[in-house]
Amino acid sequence: MTLITQPPVKKPSSPAKRPVQTRPRRRFRADRVGLYGLLVIAALTALLPLLWMLSGSLQSLTELLSNDTFLPSEPQWQNYVTAWVQGDLGTYLRNSVIYTGCAVAGILIVSSLAGYALARLDFAGKGVFTVIILAVMIIPAPAMFLAQYKLLISLGLTNNPVGYILILITSGIPMSTLIMRSFFVSQPRDLEEAAALDGAGPLRIFWSVILPLARPGLAAVAVIQGLGAWNEYLMALVLFDDNALMPIQRGLTAFTSAETPQQQILLAATTISIVPVVIFYLMAQRHIVKGIGAGAIK
Amino acid sequence: MTSSSLELAARRPTRAPRRKRSLRANLLGWFFLAPAIALIGVFTIVPFGQAILLSFQSWDGVSPDTAWVGFANYEFIASDPVFWASMRNVLFFGVVGFFVGNGVALGMALAVNRITRGKTFFRTVFYLPGVLSVVVVGLLFSFILAPGSGVLNRVLEMIGLGALQQNWLGDPSVALPAVAAVFVWFHWGFGFLLFLAGLQDVPRELYEAAELDGARPWAQFRYITWPHLAPVTSIVSLLTLLAALQIFGTVQVLTNGGPGYHTMVPTLAIFNEAFVNWRYGSAAAMSVVFGGALVLLSLLQLAITGRRSRA
Repeated sequence: MTLITQPPVKKPSSPAKRPVQTRPRRRFRADRVGLYGLLVIAALTALLPLLWMLSGSLQSLTELLSNDTFLPSEPQWQNYVTAWVQGDLGTYLRNSVIYTGCAVAGILIVSSLAGYALARLDFAGKGVFTVIILAVMIIPAPAMFLAQYKLLISLGLTNNPVGYILILITSGIPMSTLIMRSFFVSQPRDLEEAAALDGAGPLRIFWSVILPLARPGLAAVAVIQGLGAWNEYLMALVLFDDNALMPIQRGLTAFTSAETPQQQILLAATTISIVPVVIFYLMAQRHIVKGIGAGAIK
Repeated sequence: MTSSSLELAARRPTRAPRRKRSLRANLLGWFFLAPAIALIGVFTIVPFGQAILLSFQSWDGVSPDTAWVGFANYEFIASDPVFWASMRNVLFFGVVGFFVGNGVALGMALAVNRITRGKTFFRTVFYLPGVLSVVVVGLLFSFILAPGSGVLNRVLEMIGLGALQQNWLGDPSVALPAVAAVFVWFHWGFGFLLFLAGLQDVPRELYEAAELDGARPWAQFRYITWPHLAPVTSIVSLLTLLAALQIFGTVQVLTNGGPGYHTMVPTLAIFNEAFVNWRYGSAAAMSVVFGGALVLLSLLQLAITGRRSRA
């Protein structure tokens, strides 16, 4: 009923306002409460395991294993100290920061260069390279990680940050190049042409004109690839035996299997390990949406 | 000065035929591509070829010599129960990820797209599990799903559903669905983000027009939303499917493929064959068979979407 009676009343006002007014009206059948109820249930499903992790990390082992409560009666902050020291988390986190930082920097440089070439430069073999990039994206990691391991052995790069970072960079290039390409394609050419008329060479134009303009695209790529590199596990598992070199994900499993620490300590270690990435996510989530959208849909 | 450079600029498009600047332009183009080509060549294309070579060889992972053994590795894995169990299990992950994961993702995207308040909150929360690492998810759920004091069993007890308590990861009949549920929990946020982005691109006027014509919500979904989401749907489906089929870390940390081989997956089988059983050759053969299947699947999907978007 409301559907039929409302439009004639509201429509004459102003056409510009229409979208704002029609949106609530479209919900005439869906029970608002039901909709929000559904969303809240889904949100709880997403959040509760994490909240339990937090809560469990602050309990004593007896409390954690008892069936009485889900909340710590008296927060055991020393669990975090124990986890940090026993698990050597400082080393792992530092390694992860270094590996992720180097990987992201490398991916940004390589993929913005390649993306720009594909978007703006005209040269023989461009089509071939585009096909290669698409083909490489299709090759799944399980088909390659053994051979990558073998290759890094022959290059003397196992248990070596350089080998790991090179793998991280390479695996990020295809998708990032496509994101950067679509970003460059959508930009106006005016500034580049003006710079060219002023006598700037191609590299100078790239560095001083294009890269600063490409900041939104670079940010999207950095966020997506940063999360990916931070969470990488398979190659880290294959490449590192030396605890001093392991990134955090590999370090966590090394901690679990080698020392068999108590549950609440492991929960504290896990919580510590997600703090950087969750903070980063909350700060950068706008770029994640943009980056995933650009990367997947193009 | 100015007039001549303007003239030059105006004439440039016509005066710059492909032939004339070819050498310089080609060098420049390849110079920009050189780092990408070098890295992809050395760390992707060479290993890809190596993987195929290795599958015809015998290698213990240490010695430099690798003996050529022909199809022996393939014959070996053809009768390997672990590998085939892993292939069956991963099909299950694929089906669950595809239908349940994408279904939840689409449903929640539709729901969030309809609300006006709290959009950012729900969007942020729904993708939150997706930023965790496979190791964290595996460890966390190995505690949650533990028998006895495990949180899930305690919650079931508390809300009066104690009869549903299970040894979630130890009972062969529930372990695979349990791990698949963890996968869905971990991954659906990705599809959700893409679906939501797709929904926001659907022109509002279409819904207004449909409403004036008296179209019910279902009809609006069927004739406006769904066709507009088609490209997003095919991308999300492919990516979710590939993620489900390549699942590794979550399973390794959660169950290590057990009990028995009931949650074994191909990537973990390949890893174990190489780094636990020290049979790199047959591990490589597994990776060729499994990787080849994934490539075929991607190509098939690309062909289908390609045809659909051309039609």
